[in-house]
Amino acid sequence: MRLRLLFLIPLCSGLTASAGGFDTGPQGARILGLGGASAAYINSIAGLSTNPGLLGQWGDSLTRLSFGGIGQIRRSSFVGQDTYQRTDQDLTIQPGGYFYATRGLGKRFSVGLALTTPYGYHTKWPGTWEGRSVVQESKLETYFVQPTVGIKLNDNFSAGVGFVYAFGKYTQRRALGQYDDPGAQVQYSGTGGGVGLNVGLFGRTGDNLAFGISYRSGVKLNLKNGTATAAGVPSHDAALYPASTRFSTEFNLPSTLSVGIADRITPKLLLTFDFALTGWSTLDSVAFALDASGGAPARRLTTARRYEDALAFRIGAEYQATPKLAVQGGLHYDETPIRDEYINPEFIDANRLGASAGLSYQLAAHLALEAAYAIDYGQLRTARAFPQAYRVANVSGAYRTVTHTAALGVALAF
Amino acid sequence: MTVFRLTLGSRTGLVAAAALLLTACAPAQDAPTPTIGVDVSHYLAVGDSYTAGFSAGGLTRTGQEYSFPNLLAQQLRGATAGAAFTQPLLDAGTGSGYLELVDFTAAGFPRARRVAGTAVRSTVVNPGACGGTDTVRLLLRSATAGNLPQNLGVPGLPLSQIETLGLGNDARATAGAGFNPYFERLLPAATNTTYLQAVATAAASATFFTFFQGLDDLMPYVRSGGQCGAAPTAAFANQMKLNAKKILDVLTAGGRQGIIAKLPAITSLPLLRLGKGDKLETRLQAQFGDTANVYIESPFNPSQAQRISDKDYVLATALAHVGQLTPVVVNGTTRMLPYGRDSRNPLRDADVLDAQSELNLVNSAISNYNNSDGTVANVPLGLNALAQLYKLPVIDASQGFRTLDVDVSLFNQVANVISVGGVQYSAEPVRGNFFSLDYYTLTPRGNGLLANAFITAINKAYRSNIPAVDVNSLPTTK
Repeated sequence: MRLRLLFLIPLCSGLTASAGGFDTGPQGARILGLGGASAAYINSIAGLSTNPGLLGQWGDSLTRLSFGGIGQIRRSSFVGQDTYQRTDQDLTIQPGGYFYATRGLGKRFSVGLALTTPYGYHTKWPGTWEGRSVVQESKLETYFVQPTVGIKLNDNFSAGVGFVYAFGKYTQRRALGQYDDPGAQVQYSGTGGGVGLNVGLFGRTGDNLAFGISYRSGVKLNLKNGTATAAGVPSHDAALYPASTRFSTEFNLPSTLSVGIADRITPKLLLTFDFALTGWSTLDSVAFALDASGGAPARRLTTARRYEDALAFRIGAEYQATPKLAVQGGLHYDETPIRDEYINPEFIDANRLGASAGLSYQLAAHLALEAAYAIDYGQLRTARAFPQAYRVANVSGAYRTVTHTAALGVALAF
Repeated sequence: MTVFRLTLGSRTGLVAAAALLLTACAPAQDAPTPTIGVDVSHYLAVGDSYTAGFSAGGLTRTGQEYSFPNLLAQQLRGATAGAAFTQPLLDAGTGSGYLELVDFTAAGFPRARRVAGTAVRSTVVNPGACGGTDTVRLLLRSATAGNLPQNLGVPGLPLSQIETLGLGNDARATAGAGFNPYFERLLPAATNTTYLQAVATAAASATFFTFFQGLDDLMPYVRSGGQCGAAPTAAFANQMKLNAKKILDVLTAGGRQGIIAKLPAITSLPLLRLGKGDKLETRLQAQFGDTANVYIESPFNPSQAQRISDKDYVLATALAHVGQLTPVVVNGTTRMLPYGRDSRNPLRDADVLDAQSELNLVNSAISNYNNSDGTVANVPLGLNALAQLYKLPVIDASQGFRTLDVDVSLFNQVANVISVGGVQYSAEPVRGNFFSLDYYTLTPRGNGLLANAFITAINKAYRSNIPAVDVNSLPTTK
């Protein structure tokens, strides 16, 4: 029995994975199984978050629901360049979920609602690792609510537009290593929101071939309600690190342009291809604006990020094995927005190559069970910190990352 | 609906598979294996205050454990299993006594007080010493006296005393005599061995050395603002070089390899740096809210005052008194004038190392000692040239230097602030986490950074792969 599991060992040794930035992947079990190639895929209403133009294809009298949970485990290892010490991140599971509903309104219109958690990460390093003064723990959670309207332009084309309301929560914790007290640390946490737009078009160019184009605008997440707290600071430095002060920051979540085609090669086999360009370059730096408090003046702490735009290529296939069981498989390649000179342990990413698999099983006439799993491998990344650039806090070393994503959900139509 | 029947075996397999996936082991990475290109099985450290682990005005067991030779030896142990490093450790406790932080003055200068030493067995007080009362503390003998340790760093040992007979014999422990209690505790009682003889004996079994000595020759002169100790003339520097060569001849005998470190610039030490003329003037003007200049006694005409220049330095030990009102006789009447901030009450020469008559001597002595290259006849070779003479490997390829320049690789960088693993280190006492409260020796973290500078030099010179110390895991004070 054990021998049969040996094939799993390569999953854990060797390559690490990083994702295209801190997006958590396709927001739906069936599209996760397809590797995210869903801009022209209409077999799951989870495509609503990728391409609102698909909504027109679900304008019949059925009300469709699809909801489920997503869990992502992203784990990195680090080897210090000068100290040769290896540190592994603590295991964290970034939870997420999705909820989609669509309903037709008359012959031409349909409405839909998408609730997703498209961006997020949870980085957790051991409390005493060598970069503890750079970061110990950092967590971002986002919730996107997208009410959508779809229009069936004619038999072959449909378009859709959705408004995105985003909510976000961010926390970061790092040690104040200049003091001996291991409990000396600062913690930042804030919540806030932003808005965006998602537009898309879907067209059928033949019996078997369809295409989709969509553009989701960037969302400026304004985390205005924030608190920065400090603990363990010696009294003579209390003015430098006040116990509690208000803080605000913002994250520019990127825009995404997706283009995809779906080709039904045989009645049982569907192939999808997707290409996406994510505009990460709007995330140039992360600035914490701290209010004045006690003896400390108002300050602005800026860390350069200089993200660059990233491409992703995705291929998916769905095979209807039996009338009740459909299996999906996918491959994807996601570029990373993080440049070599700005690798920071708060969030590790690399160009990643991933594979995914999923299945959808029709339990009853209107109820289907969906499950999928994806694994991503990324390249080794080496960060170089320059002591004389003293305003930049960083550690030198090599990072490897692996990401596992699993999703489980149900799809209803009634 | 077909029901899948799971056998016990495949059920276990599924659970194990799920568990394996869920534990999601971190991706494997191999840390490099430390390698060393030179024999470091028996490492000998020769030097003065820095090498011994002297910190905050005293020597304690903790300070010795964080001395840079001990930190270096721990890192070398990764590459050479079983290599020990013996030090003349004091018993746990306050050792010879040291300075500890009390608080900060309004101007931001640290105030320290002396903690009594538990290893002190008697004191010899010399009230008439130049520069004020001098207290020599005799220490309990080291448990391993009789066997010379591998760390032969002796605090306060100038190169001019390496051949002084009885330097370590407490019969000579009288006021004003050439006697060193830190050397005395390494030797058996009533021994007249000289330091050079001790180095020769210890070097016989050594395979690798570090040499970082010479600063303690200049410290009496610097600490007294140029009043005490021999003035560091060219002749003085020449004698330093000749004495250094005597030690280095012994250390490099038989082709023994090691690292020779040059002396840092004296102005990078907070003892001087905190009181740099122009910056001090600005800081005091901000503190007192006026525009008064700082005045010092003219070096060539003590009864006159001159304004401080950006090249004059006020000793850090005198900074707390600058600006305080002191009585001064002016035209027959006694007035209270701010010390140093009025031309009628200039800073005394003992509180200042001025650029024209004192600091220039110190700077040229250090430069002479470090870099003198033998092109001028009858001028002894400086450290750089000696390293070339002994055919030590090149450390700095761009300049072809065979010595470790601690200025370039550490002290200068720290003076301009550096960030190591997200923590900033600067030359400011206490907050900078580098220099200790006596304004010139290093904290444990400072010693860690110094050990890393030596490790970088060893890695370059001897094509090795020694891991560096994680400086942020060391204590900030002992």
